[in-house]
Amino acid sequence: MFSIIVVPAADDPAEEHLRLAPSESLEFGREPAIGMRIAHAGVSRHAGTISATETHWALTNRSRHQTYVVENPEGAGEHLKVGPGRVGAPVPFEFSRVVLPAAGDLLTFDVWAPRHEYLDELAELTGDPTAAAFPLDRSKRYFLVLAALCEPRLRGVPHAPLPTVDRVVERLRPMWPGVTRATVQWNIDYLAVKLRLKPSPDSADPGPRVNGKKATLVSLALRFDLVAERDLTRLDP
Amino acid sequence: MSNAVTGLRIGRWEVCDVLARGSFSSVYAARRVTEDPEFPSVAALKILPGGTHTPRQAQHLRELVAGEVELLSRLRGNRLIRMYEVVTVDSPDCAELDGATAVVLELAEGSLDTLLAHTVRPVAGPALLAQVCDGLRHLHHAGWVHGDLKPANVLLMKDGTARLADFNLAAELSGTHAYGPAFATLDYTPPELVWSEVGEHGRTIRPSTDVWAFGVLAHLVLTGTLPLPGGTAAARRDATVRYGRGAEPLRLSPDLPEAWRPIVTDCLARTHEDRAAHDAASLLRRIEAITGGTPAPRLPRLRPLRWRRPALTTALVAAVLGATGMYALWDEEPSYGYHRCPAGSVCFFNGPNGTGEMCSWSGDDPDWLAGARVCGWTRNQPVRSIFNNNQERSERHDVAYYRGTGFVPAGHDTTRPSKRAGCTSVNQQGNLHGTYAPASHRWVERC
Repeated sequence: MFSIIVVPAADDPAEEHLRLAPSESLEFGREPAIGMRIAHAGVSRHAGTISATETHWALTNRSRHQTYVVENPEGAGEHLKVGPGRVGAPVPFEFSRVVLPAAGDLLTFDVWAPRHEYLDELAELTGDPTAAAFPLDRSKRYFLVLAALCEPRLRGVPHAPLPTVDRVVERLRPMWPGVTRATVQWNIDYLAVKLRLKPSPDSADPGPRVNGKKATLVSLALRFDLVAERDLTRLDP
Repeated sequence: MSNAVTGLRIGRWEVCDVLARGSFSSVYAARRVTEDPEFPSVAALKILPGGTHTPRQAQHLRELVAGEVELLSRLRGNRLIRMYEVVTVDSPDCAELDGATAVVLELAEGSLDTLLAHTVRPVAGPALLAQVCDGLRHLHHAGWVHGDLKPANVLLMKDGTARLADFNLAAELSGTHAYGPAFATLDYTPPELVWSEVGEHGRTIRPSTDVWAFGVLAHLVLTGTLPLPGGTAAARRDATVRYGRGAEPLRLSPDLPEAWRPIVTDCLARTHEDRAAHDAASLLRRIEAITGGTPAPRLPRLRPLRWRRPALTTALVAAVLGATGMYALWDEEPSYGYHRCPAGSVCFFNGPNGTGEMCSWSGDDPDWLAGARVCGWTRNQPVRSIFNNNQERSERHDVAYYRGTGFVPAGHDTTRPSKRAGCTSVNQQGNLHGTYAPASHRWVERC
């Protein structure tokens, strides 16, 4: 039932993703009573709070002097500033990187809001509002990755083998010059979270774990029409 | 699309008016333009457009409609909307509709949604809830889950009774659960299905999914408000999640009648496991203990503001039809008693609109005043209304009645070309002039 995922800074691999349900909140700072610890002398003891509301989240800046910046990593420089003492600044991004200035360093952690909603393209305006089952932002990179994964089957070969991650990288490069194996893998993992994939019981196949995930993603996407033929035009620059 | 469709001929039907537009289909009122008395003279056509979607979307829509058709062709009951046939639209001039699928359904007067829009806490609420619960009991017993129970999917018939409809999202149980498409209406989704995990086949729905939705529906009907607080569906979803993870207790409206409180509380139990202890059959028994087993005598009447159809069969009042959203409450209407007529029977009443004393038969009776079943009041009182509630018959759906015993015309009958007092098709009901005093009836292939 979670709606927000907080991903602690990468330099601490022991840290797990923290999941928040609507109306839950998470404190962060050098010494939060409970919450996410950021071990850096330049960070306030109680630096701030992330609170989940509906499908978005809000940032409270508890520091006295520092302005926090929330960046949209896919937004070509899009960002917002949250000044000292600001309570509950709503963040509209699906992916966010929170940047805390700390004694000359810039510390970051990520926050995902995978439950952002979009109108169902199939739904007519006058009908009952049926919540889109899997709201996807077609402008996001994860959508490109999903489209590239589904492409062979959408092009009319029902049992075409799934493209390998390397093939996907190749396919997406003209559109997305910075694409790498790691970014594609990351997006596949993110899609599994976003689409709430249940780990299937037979996913203990001998291949690398990501293969089972890819197959489930593609079959779900095709079954529920998350990617259609017309979306394939997005794969061409 | 409505303009293009109005007047269009689809099989034996002519499309009259748009009733509703949904996410996947549109519903139209239609009238029968052929001589096929085994079909009603009016019906609702649910049309799933064929041409405007990509092949994949069309495939998806076909699957949705196939589920509904499968369910309705296998299940029949007086709490479920009836399906008459499925027609493929052959309309080369209208590319939008050519190849579309039309599901021909029983026509309703309106939905619980339209009733609630006019009347908060309708007097007939408890009776309607009992009927909805009965419909769920029937579905669950037959091994199906509705999956999208909400006021718009509870249709109200001319006699004021409720029937479940819209089985697009319904799913057949395999074991204790089924896989439904992963969407439903937010306000009727139980906590465990909010952002629930999804497998390749969709998400897991169970009868307890419908039980939760029934609890929400009951709270709405009985109090005028939804049980979980919040000004938007998203805020109410947050409240549902908070309740679901135990962060908040359930706070039912103080307007909820005391007798209903334990029932609604059990329907809205926090987890599937707690809810599973209360199946629709046990809920129905508890509800009938409140409502007294029979629906309240006076049910709300929904009456369309425009186009009233003329009487369609002699002496029978035609079904009055209209479009969703155009109903007004008609308080001066008399009360109705047709709901007393057992399924599988034809019923004759000595009061209008199914009121007064009732005699019912499931078979033929050559003499109403003798034999196994005697209908005493017909000795000196005329029949004032009739209801042919025998959808169960596989042949001879219609019922003909005669003033003489032994299916023989007598008195006034002999002057009529049909040589009988009258004949009523299946599913028809209406008032008779006070001059009908039948003495026998039998089932016939067609009137």
